[in-house]
Amino acid sequence: MINIDLLVVGAGPAGLSAAIKAGNAGASVLVLERSHQLGGQLVKQTHMFFGSEKQYATHRGFEISDILLAELDKMENVTIQPHATVLAAYDDGIWTAEIEGQYQKIKPSAVVVATGASEKSLLFPGNDLPGIYGAGAVQTLMNQYGVKPANRVVMLGAGNIGLIVSYQLMQAGVEVIAVVEGSPTIGGYLVHASKLRRMGVPIFTSHTIKNAKGANTNGLESVTLWKLDENWQGISGSEFTYHVDALCIAVGLSPLSELLWQIGCKMTFSAPMGGYIPYRDKYMRTSQKGIYIAGDVGGVEEASSAMVSGQLAGISAAEYLGFEMPNMAAMKQDCLNQLASLRQGPKGAHIRAGIRQAEVSFE
Amino acid sequence: MRKTADIVIIGGGISGVTIGYFLLKHGAKNVVLLERDYLTAGATGRCGAGIRQQWGAPLNCRMSQFSCEFFENAQDELDYAHGIEFHQGGYLMLATTENELEQTRKNVALQNSLGIASKMLSPEETKEIVPLLDTKKILAAAYHHKDGHLNPFHTTQAFANAFKRLGGEIYINTNVTGITTTQGKISGVDTEHGHIATTIVVNAAGGYSQAVAALAGVDLPLHSERHNILVTEPVEPMLSAMLMSFSLNFYCQQVPHGSFIMGRTCPDQPNDLRITADSSFLEAMAKTITDVLPSLKNLRILRQWAGLYNMSPDKHPIYDQIPQLPGFYLAAGFSGHGFMMAPATGLSMAELILGLEPTLPWKQLGFNRFQSGELLLESSVV
Amino acid sequence: MLEKTGVPTETQIDSAFPNETRLNEGPVAVIECFQPIPCNPCAMACPRQAILPFADINDVPVMDNDKCNGCGLCVMKCPGLAIIVVDINWSETKALIKLPYEFRPLPQKGQILHALDREGHPIANAEVINVIVPANKTPVISIAVDKDLIKKVRNICIPEDNDSIVCRCSDITVADIQSFIAQGYTSVDELKRITRLGMGACQGRTCIPLVMRELSTALKKPISELTSGTHRPIVKSMKLGDVAAYGGKS
Repeated sequence: MINIDLLVVGAGPAGLSAAIKAGNAGASVLVLERSHQLGGQLVKQTHMFFGSEKQYATHRGFEISDILLAELDKMENVTIQPHATVLAAYDDGIWTAEIEGQYQKIKPSAVVVATGASEKSLLFPGNDLPGIYGAGAVQTLMNQYGVKPANRVVMLGAGNIGLIVSYQLMQAGVEVIAVVEGSPTIGGYLVHASKLRRMGVPIFTSHTIKNAKGANTNGLESVTLWKLDENWQGISGSEFTYHVDALCIAVGLSPLSELLWQIGCKMTFSAPMGGYIPYRDKYMRTSQKGIYIAGDVGGVEEASSAMVSGQLAGISAAEYLGFEMPNMAAMKQDCLNQLASLRQGPKGAHIRAGIRQAEVSFE
Repeated sequence: MRKTADIVIIGGGISGVTIGYFLLKHGAKNVVLLERDYLTAGATGRCGAGIRQQWGAPLNCRMSQFSCEFFENAQDELDYAHGIEFHQGGYLMLATTENELEQTRKNVALQNSLGIASKMLSPEETKEIVPLLDTKKILAAAYHHKDGHLNPFHTTQAFANAFKRLGGEIYINTNVTGITTTQGKISGVDTEHGHIATTIVVNAAGGYSQAVAALAGVDLPLHSERHNILVTEPVEPMLSAMLMSFSLNFYCQQVPHGSFIMGRTCPDQPNDLRITADSSFLEAMAKTITDVLPSLKNLRILRQWAGLYNMSPDKHPIYDQIPQLPGFYLAAGFSGHGFMMAPATGLSMAELILGLEPTLPWKQLGFNRFQSGELLLESSVV
Repeated sequence: MLEKTGVPTETQIDSAFPNETRLNEGPVAVIECFQPIPCNPCAMACPRQAILPFADINDVPVMDNDKCNGCGLCVMKCPGLAIIVVDINWSETKALIKLPYEFRPLPQKGQILHALDREGHPIANAEVINVIVPANKTPVISIAVDKDLIKKVRNICIPEDNDSIVCRCSDITVADIQSFIAQGYTSVDELKRITRLGMGACQGRTCIPLVMRELSTALKKPISELTSGTHRPIVKSMKLGDVAAYGGKS
């Protein structure tokens, strides 16, 4: 049994940020990361980040990961364990994990759950053909493993992930035939969309996939797209077909909240935040005492806000554990201010709505 | 929702639906079944659904013989398209101590005298039936080829469909909030969706029987105990028999879909109706099973969960009318065997309620055994 | 035109329909039999002589619309499948059309079908209200369609099963899920137990959100009012042997 002050589940931008703050405060921290590589989604991000200087704007994602890890490297009270999947959270306070192939039990005094989000799937005939990927998988193949995933790709989804991954596919020498978006408008940042259009890639809004065809031995061979009417129904006669060897699905992310459900956190469904999210107070505590959340598991946002919410959760957990830092209150306020500013624009409206729905007080 | 009924059954698990089915089959009318969540939400949907006729007391042998025969013919009788997945691969009851061996021999003799064709097997013969088995700790085993297991969800649905075809009504998502009485007799049931006037209420609420009885001010000599279970990834068929051992404290089966399901009795379980997962069950179960079936070590656990055993003082069910409250019937206290006894439960409760001649010895399962001190003895319970 | 394309002209269709007053008075048969051929079962079928008796077997049928009560007996007996019954005031918003249909499988009551026009194009979705299967005669399917489509809808087609995969662990398709929902299963937990959906190695991460959308559509309830089902340990599968090794071998 591993006894520890703080268990952080996930070494993405949120988890690493939480570990830095709690470690600074003096807590003994164990960070468990499923992947063999630390940094979560950051390590796949080859583009320069938006946001402000405080969230490392203009740095590329993998560089930010290095910055956070370098900071943690200096802390003797923080252990970061890759190859470690947290398996379960039990009501007697015990958490279990598979750590480098071994079953382990952990008794933490507090936990920051920073498990992130997983990609949503889509229903259409042929959706299980080889060659149909989530955008995250394509990014992993290209940017982590250096594998060119396909030659001709159609991207489903014109949110930031769909746009950015399309661009990265082109950088990797893959032909992006089209970006297809069900909504009447492009969901991601328009600067990303314009980059693609300048490369000659069409973006079809109010369109979706009708079906995918191929042989199981060859995998995907073609996709047929069609136009959607105002009720999101396909319009007969509007079909057109592309021959491709990959279809990339980027239709949104869904918070990875299993552990929160298991431990009995109260949850609420928020479509704009990607699915079920935990009720939390403004300092990231859930309905369960000592259980905090950071990053996308609390609702899908950008990496910049994940880092800030991670810092906030780390400070709050340290405070709960009885650790003190000078200016703790000011640090928390600074995080709140950063989050408010990141969420304040027109692109943050849906996030503000989700937070309004889930933010409560547990006093 | 209807306002009146002749009989209201509380509980949409296997016991409730079988009672409803047999009541209508034997001529009852206007029978309504109420379920707080959905059918099989309680212990029925959480159990291993094993069926065995190897018992140590004549009563249980008789009840389970009837149930097993019923399940064998259930496909025709209930006319359920999907099928109930009754897999008769036999039950192997492993004996690992001298005492257990002695008891197992006695049980087999009793079973044979009642027409149950169980037999004793040597470790070598046991291994022929389960080649995966490590027999080093095993002295002998009892085996009956007609025992087996079935799919609890489809079995319950099959009874529920048949019950509805015979005119029964099922209200799911309907919590019972009160049981009303007039002049010391049952007069109705309050639910979250309205009141149903009735003179007969059947409490078939499994682990929650005490809570249902308490609505009528009745205190039952029952308690509910959390039991844990796990399921693995599906693999090719390799274990046809259901394995169990009292001394090694486990049961294990491979269901037709390919998954292994296994459970054991764990110490220090909560008794507050909590059915959250236990943090020490996985390693205890994994150690036990890889000791007996070593090649399962590479099989992956997918999930664990828990359900409630509704325990009676002598680990036998109670089929009776509450003595101080005419019209209030109880079918509970199955102590972990409610699923396999379900057809016997259905028939017995129908006969009890409708005043019919007993087909099965259910008169021994009344409350008076607790007053008279004539508790029923059974050696073969976990 | 009919002679060239097999599709009656609008003028012909208008001539087959009774006037608006009669349409509004209740269900009525509409006979699209424009060519004299030797055939008279419709007139023989009508118990009310609403289809006027033929002088010659080559007569085209003539209706006395006031006698017709829309019973549909002629629909099931016409060998040319030329007759439908239209009830324009079946509900506030929908008209009922009784159509002859000679293909298997027959549609089911409550099923949503494609309503086809006279050229076989799908023009709307239609709910099956009733299915009558007379012995050795043509089955009659009653469907509900928007009132403005009564002169357009003339056939039905059962949509192909949607074989899009919902649950990759257990190969469960949308059609499977839809059929269980139609049987009365109304929650993720129930569907899990009856189909094994969400109980495979992915622990429902892929399929549960998809199933919740199907449930939401079928039950006409927002997803926020549904429950997502129980989330059970463990998050990722683990070998029995590795778990057994915890704390040393027993």
